[in-house]
Amino acid sequence: NVEAVGTPKRNIQLSNIVEEFAEGRRTSKVMHETPKKATVEEPKTPKSARGRPRKSTSTVVEEYKSTPKSATKLKLIRSGAIKPNVQARDAPVQISPDDQLAVARERLHVSAVPKSLPCREKEYSEIYNFLEGKIIDSCGGCMYVSGVPGTGKTATTTAVIRSLQVLAQEEEIPTFEFVEINGMRLTEPRQAYVHIYRQLTGKTLAWEQAYNLLDKRFTTKAPRRVTTVLLVDELDILCNRRQDVVYNLLNWPTVPSAQLVVITIANTMDLPERLLMGKISSRLGLTRLTFQPYNFRQLQEIVMARLTGTSAFDAEAVQLVARKVAAVSGDARRALDICRRATELAEEQSRKVDKFVSVSMGHVQKALGEMIASAKVQTIKCCSRMEQLFLQAVTAEVARTGIEECSFLGVYSQFEALAAFAGVTVPNPGRAIAICSRLGASRLLICENSRNDIYQKILLNISSDDVHYALQASSLI
Amino acid sequence: MPVLQSETAKIRQFLKSRLQTDVTSFRGYESEWQNIRDLLFRTAEHGESNSALLLGTRGSGKTTLITSVLADLLPEANFYRNTVIVYLNGLLHTDDRLALKSATAQMNLENAVDGKVFGSFAENLAFLLECLKAGDKKKSKSVVFILEEFDLFCSHHNQTLLYNLFDVAQSAQAPICVLGITARLDVIELLEKRVKSRFSHRQIFLLPKENDFEGRVELFKILLKLPTDKEMKEYNKTFKPIPEDALQNQELPLLRRVFDPRSFSFSTKTISQWNKHIDALASNPKVISVLQNMYDYEVIEATFKTFLFELVCQLHDDNPLLTVEEVQAQGQQFEGDDKIHILCGLSVLELCLVIAMKHHSEIYDRDPFNFEMILTRYNKFANASTTMQGIERSVVLKAYEHVKNLELIAPISNASTSKVQKEYQLHRLLLTYGQIGQAVVKSQNLPTEVCQWAQSSLI
Repeated sequence: NVEAVGTPKRNIQLSNIVEEFAEGRRTSKVMHETPKKATVEEPKTPKSARGRPRKSTSTVVEEYKSTPKSATKLKLIRSGAIKPNVQARDAPVQISPDDQLAVARERLHVSAVPKSLPCREKEYSEIYNFLEGKIIDSCGGCMYVSGVPGTGKTATTTAVIRSLQVLAQEEEIPTFEFVEINGMRLTEPRQAYVHIYRQLTGKTLAWEQAYNLLDKRFTTKAPRRVTTVLLVDELDILCNRRQDVVYNLLNWPTVPSAQLVVITIANTMDLPERLLMGKISSRLGLTRLTFQPYNFRQLQEIVMARLTGTSAFDAEAVQLVARKVAAVSGDARRALDICRRATELAEEQSRKVDKFVSVSMGHVQKALGEMIASAKVQTIKCCSRMEQLFLQAVTAEVARTGIEECSFLGVYSQFEALAAFAGVTVPNPGRAIAICSRLGASRLLICENSRNDIYQKILLNISSDDVHYALQASSLI
Repeated sequence: MPVLQSETAKIRQFLKSRLQTDVTSFRGYESEWQNIRDLLFRTAEHGESNSALLLGTRGSGKTTLITSVLADLLPEANFYRNTVIVYLNGLLHTDDRLALKSATAQMNLENAVDGKVFGSFAENLAFLLECLKAGDKKKSKSVVFILEEFDLFCSHHNQTLLYNLFDVAQSAQAPICVLGITARLDVIELLEKRVKSRFSHRQIFLLPKENDFEGRVELFKILLKLPTDKEMKEYNKTFKPIPEDALQNQELPLLRRVFDPRSFSFSTKTISQWNKHIDALASNPKVISVLQNMYDYEVIEATFKTFLFELVCQLHDDNPLLTVEEVQAQGQQFEGDDKIHILCGLSVLELCLVIAMKHHSEIYDRDPFNFEMILTRYNKFANASTTMQGIERSVVLKAYEHVKNLELIAPISNASTSKVQKEYQLHRLLLTYGQIGQAVVKSQNLPTEVCQWAQSSLI
């Protein structure tokens, strides 16, 4: 018979097979073990432990009690029966509508996305035409959207999809499914399958299963299939060395039965050529869109659009924010955050004078100072005298050797000389190393592990001009 | 002094526990304190999402600031009923997996039972994000994330946790406030660009005052004086007790076993006598010069508290008052050089080796040396001396090893050092010449020959 010839079944364990020598030939046979009685193992426990077997059994019972509970809960979560939720508060939040500054602050929050995004009309229509065409034709396709952070990529794309969903509900275009994943919300690239499958069916599976089911779904023909729109945010995170996930996500649209439209979003413009393999960038296609950073006029318009109907802001104040932010990054989030901080400052002031104060240039200037400037110079000013002297010794050693990296020994001899010059007693080398590591902890210096003791290398992390500027007013120099 | 004598133990106990466990009273930095308080208050009350970073040098009171803000806010039912506080520490939660488990348990989500979180890392992340997404600005509780050692979270893989926290803070989901605490001033440069864009760039710096020596003397008085009845009345007015159910979170270590001055009571006579004594001590020029030296070296409060703690430890029944001499001795101890102490404890042979190393380093400008070089130099001296003759090579090698184990010399880190015999391994001297000179002067019972040899390498 077939079974005797084939490999032994899995449940026959190796220890059960006993080799015997019968008539000089080796044969193996399966031992059928009778289950051992529990009493056999009992004498192994030491006698002293016998006094309290009750306690251990009771804890075991408790564990058994709690395990099924958590197991069923886990099962319920995986099947999607338990809805995820956070605890509710006592009473819902209420904001009085006549508090101008509070209303402005709420509208200026980055999360309060307006219904129509100003200054992105062209990009909006481009994505809209692409998606609408694909949905009406019920075919698949890819699009690549790029741009630096905070230029409205995700907001524009989701706005397009929202308006298309409204149209689909009014039955002006065919209905479609929308799935959204974000590379940064995954622990590893393959979890993308799990997330897509969960959004389609609500169940959580292992990634292999999810991949198989998705592959089956997209590659087999099915009548009455509706188009699926898949938005992939942070595409560069999904790229690993094998790039199998990105390949699959971009390969499914090419299958005629899939009806899958993929929109990918990333920061760098040349990501397909730089990071992706040839066959993948070929599948990604040439339908691309780049979001330029906002210039100051656009940033001003964005802020003003959010503020319509309130008189909380002076017009010049908004212009100052727009110009400052546009010069650095063109990040809309940054501009909105600075405006929000300015309203807080104005509120503080109006609390003090007990009268409504609109946000003026002064508040914006202060907010900009808080959010853009760094406090390195101020930190040097607030160091102790010995720390200041040590920093000066480092700059002196850099100037002496001409090399940026200097060793502790050289700095210490400079330190001794400067201390003698200033007429103070110099700390011993051990305490000087403590000063060094203190300055290293706040990253004014970059220094090695102090295990290297007096041979450690020291690097100045700020420009030596900053040190001189900060120490100008110091009593030591 | 009999009044004080009977209560010395109690005074010592009071001062010690105040120095160690008083985390809620916070001095100075009014505007920064108000800023953080407003931030947390708005998060709880208006459901606003925020993110901020608290920066300052080590020991400048960053955690104390947060603790005192929480101690001020938590007594209000409106605050603690509407917020969940999640405490994460970069030194404990060394990767995102651990941090997520802890956050899930602290928020008491559905997939946590009795503080045990089940499911894989990916499931936990997905579930937490779903929960926050399901939340609503108006109806769900605000979550305050306190991330201590924030710079260590930046080194996690892809900065997934930071991205997601900042992303939730910037989108219409459950209201959260992310508060990072770190000592690194350049921490923003560690963030990835998309994480940086989502961070609101609110940075609050805790900088000590410039040239504030009067403040230090004042602090000396504040930390050592006993509270008078008037001050206790004021304390009772401003500090309300934190209700039990506000501290349900098992993993929040900030407000555990907080110091309470009401559990101590002193007689009025004791208080006035002790405070008068401290005032006199603080105006003594010798004490002031000790304090000035300490202040010149280090401006932060934390080490100053250690100094005072050691001072307070010396109080006992026979010695009920702090004396000027004790303060001076304590100051001396802080300024002493430990390496000279170690050198003074060496045997004559070991000290001779150190002197030989010093001569070698002086002649060859701190070139590395091995045992044979030092032995030759030492033998030259030993043969000419009357006391050091007749010591065997193996004994000298043992002494050399001992010097090496004390880390007065360090091997040069090369990949090939392990293969070299120990007599030929190259080492460097980890002492300055000044330290060796001082040690020779200080150590007792050193033969005159050795002292003379230490002066010059000529024999």
